[in-house]
Amino acid sequence: MRRDWVAGVAPLMLLLLFCVLGPVVWPADPAALDAGAPLARPCLAYPLGTDALGRDELARLIHGGRETLSVAVPATLLAFMLGTGYGLIAGFAPRIAARVLMRLLDALLALPSLVVLLCGAALLPRTGFTVSVLIGVTAWPGLARLVRTEMVSLRGRDFAHAARQLGADPLHMARRHFLPNIARLLGVNATFLLGDSVLALSALSFLGLGVPPPAASWGSMLQSGIGLMDLGAWWLILPPGFLIAGSLFAAAAVGRMFFSEEKEQKTFALRWRKG
Amino acid sequence: MGRAAETFATLFFLVTLTFALAHAVPDGPAYAILGLKAGPDRVRALNAQLGLDATVWGQYATWWWHVLHANLGISYLQNRPVVSVIGAYAGRTAVLYSVATGLAVVAAMGLGWLHGVFYRSWAGRVCSAIEIFLYAMPGFFIATVLGMVFSSWLHLLPAAGMVDLHQAAPGFGDRAAHMVLPAASIALFVAPWLARIFAQGVHEELSRDYVRTAQARGVGFGSILLRHVTPNAIRPMVTMLGLSLPAIFSGNVVVESVFDYPGIGWLLWRSAVAHDYPVLVGIVLVVGVATMLGNLAADLVNAWLDPRVTYAA
Repeated sequence: MRRDWVAGVAPLMLLLLFCVLGPVVWPADPAALDAGAPLARPCLAYPLGTDALGRDELARLIHGGRETLSVAVPATLLAFMLGTGYGLIAGFAPRIAARVLMRLLDALLALPSLVVLLCGAALLPRTGFTVSVLIGVTAWPGLARLVRTEMVSLRGRDFAHAARQLGADPLHMARRHFLPNIARLLGVNATFLLGDSVLALSALSFLGLGVPPPAASWGSMLQSGIGLMDLGAWWLILPPGFLIAGSLFAAAAVGRMFFSEEKEQKTFALRWRKG
Repeated sequence: MGRAAETFATLFFLVTLTFALAHAVPDGPAYAILGLKAGPDRVRALNAQLGLDATVWGQYATWWWHVLHANLGISYLQNRPVVSVIGAYAGRTAVLYSVATGLAVVAAMGLGWLHGVFYRSWAGRVCSAIEIFLYAMPGFFIATVLGMVFSSWLHLLPAAGMVDLHQAAPGFGDRAAHMVLPAASIALFVAPWLARIFAQGVHEELSRDYVRTAQARGVGFGSILLRHVTPNAIRPMVTMLGLSLPAIFSGNVVVESVFDYPGIGWLLWRSAVAHDYPVLVGIVLVVGVATMLGNLAADLVNAWLDPRVTYAA
């Protein structure tokens, strides 16, 4: 059990440490230009080489990670609240209203999230705040459906009937009975949402529609590495790519810690990745 | 509510959502068309021409009327009807999509058989590790790495476009060569999860009574796997494939952008960059409807694979 716990949480902790403590361990300036060493291979002075302008790639990755998290974490919180709230409301709503809410959810789930994200990015002025809101607003439907499914099963249990007979109102029921029962599910899904948000932001930045420069994120760094692919600059492509992949892996690892394989299938089926 | 009624209800919301999206254009479409320095007279004239001076409900009714007549407006960028623009690109995506999905299913079944048969042994663990590794890879990263290895380093395959523009009349071979990297990228990103679900199916089905009965009758293992277990194990995978159509499309967008494959994903990307709103809204509608039809098709295939499955009409 303890080993499972370590294996589940370690990847996420490592990533967070990389972003939070990175500047302390490697205090190089990500914006400093070294005209003498553009596209330097990884060496002692530059552990991950430099980009076309001679900027330290490792320092850029650390700060790109902070930039990525500063957008992805608020987006996750927003999506988490929207998804949980909608799921709870759909769970309490009377039959007809619940059906309408679920069909609306189906319509939202039928839209590829990247399609909605690209439309939003084209419509809105792009700042860290709007991109964050945009990702949050597109990421929640999967969680909403999950919460509602759990609610449907919970509200038929004896304790729910008993509480209702004793005159508990929906707010009390949600706070004291339903939310504590799905706390574990919510916790895992918050992690999934973080992975999704990092992926969504990376895909947007990769397509040049994320937060505009000078802010660098892993996605935009990967994009700029592609332009230099023919020069053989693998150190500009693999590290940002593996960091994005690492975030998704970390989210999946936390999920696997909590769920057996049978449950895994059910949980993942409703929230499949987006890009 | 039956399956058909549910689909119609979802369609209704989808059309309404696209209407709301079209109305979210900042400052209205007149400024997007005429530029931000347009005078109020010209804006008013264009709004009247576009029917934007009507009430919201009137516009909503008109939107429905136009959607039902396959009229999605005119592209700002290409000055052609959105429907014909989307049609031109959608055909190419359909080809790429079919090839990629076919590849993904073949790869998933290969990996899934291996994983399912050797579920608890080291071979199964290796398969599981491969699946998780690929699962965590974003589509655009897979595409980038494939392009880097097979195009930049090994010079084996082209990494951009649909045909070689230097050739006068590119043949089938050239088209196929340009298809390999995009299709392989999408397949690599779709296959691991399908493989995982297929493997679980194979593993579960192998422990059923009918398998033991077949073994007792002296049926060979290969025959049991192919003729008895696979048809049963494949159903969850088909459902999953239907459910993951939106995700596959998202992957498709980035893969088409990486390889400059002029499909509907590429069109979406370019329209978003160039603020071509009618095309954006049109793509949302078309992709949403296609996804719903895909889900419906997956259910129908399942009903065909297993006569016990029924969906109330």
